[in-house]
Amino acid sequence: MWALVRPWRPGTRPLLADTPTRLLVAVACVVVAALVLASRTPLPTGAMRVVGVAAGHGALLATALAWAGCVPGSGVVAIVLLAAAAAAATLGPAGALAYLAVPLWVAWLARRQRLVALGLAGPVPRRALLAAVVLGAFLGGHLLVSASLTLGVHIRPVGGAGVLAALAYDAGANVLAAECLFRGALFNRAQRRWSFATALVLATAAYVARYLVDPLLPKSVEWVVGAVFYLTLLSAGNCWLFWWSGSLVPGVVSALVFFAAYRLLGTGG
Amino acid sequence: MTRGLAAAAALTLAVVTALIALTGGGPASVLRHGFLLPVVALALAFGRLGGALGTGAALGLYAPVVLLEIERSGLTPETIEGLVTCAVVAGVGALGGALTTRARRQRARYETILTVQRALAGATPLEAALGRLRTVLIERLRAADVGLVVRDGAREVVAGADRVAAGSVAAGVLAVGTSVFVPDVGEGRRPRRVFATPLLVAGQPIGVLAVERVAELDRDERAALDALGVHIAVALENARLTSRQRRFAEELERSVASATRRLEELDRAKSAFVAVASHELRTPLTALQGFSEILAARSLAPEEVRRMAGIMRAEAARLGRIVSDLLDLSRIERGLEPTLHRVPVVVEAALVATADLFRRGVADTIVVDCAPALPPVDADPDALERILTNLVSNAVKYSPPGSEVRLCARRAGAMVEVAVLDRGAGIPGDALARIFEPYYRVPATSTVRGTGLGLAVVKALVEAHGGVIHVESARDAGTRVAFSLPAVP
Repeated sequence: MWALVRPWRPGTRPLLADTPTRLLVAVACVVVAALVLASRTPLPTGAMRVVGVAAGHGALLATALAWAGCVPGSGVVAIVLLAAAAAAATLGPAGALAYLAVPLWVAWLARRQRLVALGLAGPVPRRALLAAVVLGAFLGGHLLVSASLTLGVHIRPVGGAGVLAALAYDAGANVLAAECLFRGALFNRAQRRWSFATALVLATAAYVARYLVDPLLPKSVEWVVGAVFYLTLLSAGNCWLFWWSGSLVPGVVSALVFFAAYRLLGTGG
Repeated sequence: MTRGLAAAAALTLAVVTALIALTGGGPASVLRHGFLLPVVALALAFGRLGGALGTGAALGLYAPVVLLEIERSGLTPETIEGLVTCAVVAGVGALGGALTTRARRQRARYETILTVQRALAGATPLEAALGRLRTVLIERLRAADVGLVVRDGAREVVAGADRVAAGSVAAGVLAVGTSVFVPDVGEGRRPRRVFATPLLVAGQPIGVLAVERVAELDRDERAALDALGVHIAVALENARLTSRQRRFAEELERSVASATRRLEELDRAKSAFVAVASHELRTPLTALQGFSEILAARSLAPEEVRRMAGIMRAEAARLGRIVSDLLDLSRIERGLEPTLHRVPVVVEAALVATADLFRRGVADTIVVDCAPALPPVDADPDALERILTNLVSNAVKYSPPGSEVRLCARRAGAMVEVAVLDRGAGIPGDALARIFEPYYRVPATSTVRGTGLGLAVVKALVEAHGGVIHVESARDAGTRVAFSLPAVP
């Protein structure tokens, strides 16, 4: 038994240890430079979106990879892939499929056992996947019903090119980066220091804050309140799924299902 | 059962929602109270988690009805009723779940304490009791592993590992006596929490209870584990005291049985002694009486008179020795030491005198072998004579006729060691340790005359002089009895 046979010294590493500060500062500088440039000269269409996607999601994903113990180059690769995908997406809906390169890169890292600390190693319990689908479908369905009834939002057809492009964006950037950082990195670290409830509150607060500052979120009160409500429930559910299964995959699945429902809304991006 | 209940609750929620929607009752529909039923059922069945999930599901289904009406009509009495219903459902779910969880935990704790007491009951060794306790605790505490360490005197009894490693959590708790919580041991996909609490008796740690769990181990549960540690410590202490008491009772029983056996043996020996002593006393008396009657009744030749007087003197001396032995034994049994009048005694002279005493009829078989320049001993001459007479008498009695008896003396430090050696049949090993006991006679020698007092008196006399006596014997090779007396400086 560990408590009887293994030596132990009190003390833990800082919560934010291994944060790639230099890389984040460099990304921030690029964003500031882009903003300054955009304020002085007109940039090509979608240029700021490319910078925003690469900087925003790239920073989240690079931080998560660094916390997992990957070399800084892994984060740089993720940022470059996101920038390339965002640039491709500006060319047309089919270009958004380039976002799928990012999960492939992450899967490649996971296959080499470099993302164990993010919960991306070993088998995924089927019951957890089923629970994730149920959770995402319940919240997404509820969102669709509530939004259509209370806000009068129309539902878009499922097979639309815009919806598929948005789904690719969620799979490669939005959901993947957020789940890797807020669940796989932040929640996982926090739950190994404090109680489940404390870790859940911390990760959920950070998760909700990340979406509240997202420029793509409609800024009306109804949408902000709705976002806080659903993202809180989604985050809490995903934290529980991560805690229960020890894997990040169910949380990603749950969030993908939920955001798929969100993309069906007329204002869902 | 649980799945059925969960399915029934989900169905009830769906039916109530559908009925409210179909009847167009709105937020104030009387059907809204139907949401309480599955929420309460889930809270009672699954505790806090059930209450939370039931509340979440009920509010998820009912809130759109209320919010839609608020969108349409604003805050009307109907919508306020709907909001109150939401609050009631949330409150009932949260409170019911919390109370159910609390009650279940409390019950589980009592059951665990009972289980602990049952596991530690019975007359099993501590190792087995700890092993059993560990097994039941793993099950009761839903733990990934449980370790127990108990100090039992100088040793540590450990369940869950071979030993307690230095620097481990358990070693720290044993040393300091306070609980330690490790949120994660850093192994595995899920956090593995460890809590180690001391087993305290009278404020002192007698052991450690360590629990590892791949699940939450919140503050309440840690406090409960602290309390469980106290219960286990008390139960272990009781078990240890009971075990000690049982051992003591068994030892006492064995001692009493042994003492009883010895008393019975002593009683038998005394009875045998009375018979032997009567015979031993009567024999010289008969001789004295017979010869004295002959001397009184007849006129005999002077040589014959001298011969008879010699025999009478020898028998009277034997009678005197028996009486002296009895008196000495009586003093020994009362805890008194023999009275000694110690003077310097030349050992060689004493040995020669004793040898001469026994040489009549066995002239050349008693050999005296003294080391040169032997110092005199500080002894009572009469006591030394009785010691030597007893030992030589035994050697002559238990040796084959004509075999050699050797009396030796030599210096041994500040003492002089005297040994009497014979070439008799020897003393059996089991009897060797008992030959100095009063009344004891080696069973195979019952046909030889003797009271069983001689060696007991000899030992008492030697020890009264500050000496020691010991005997060595080999089957069919003879016996060597050696005693030491202090030399005169």
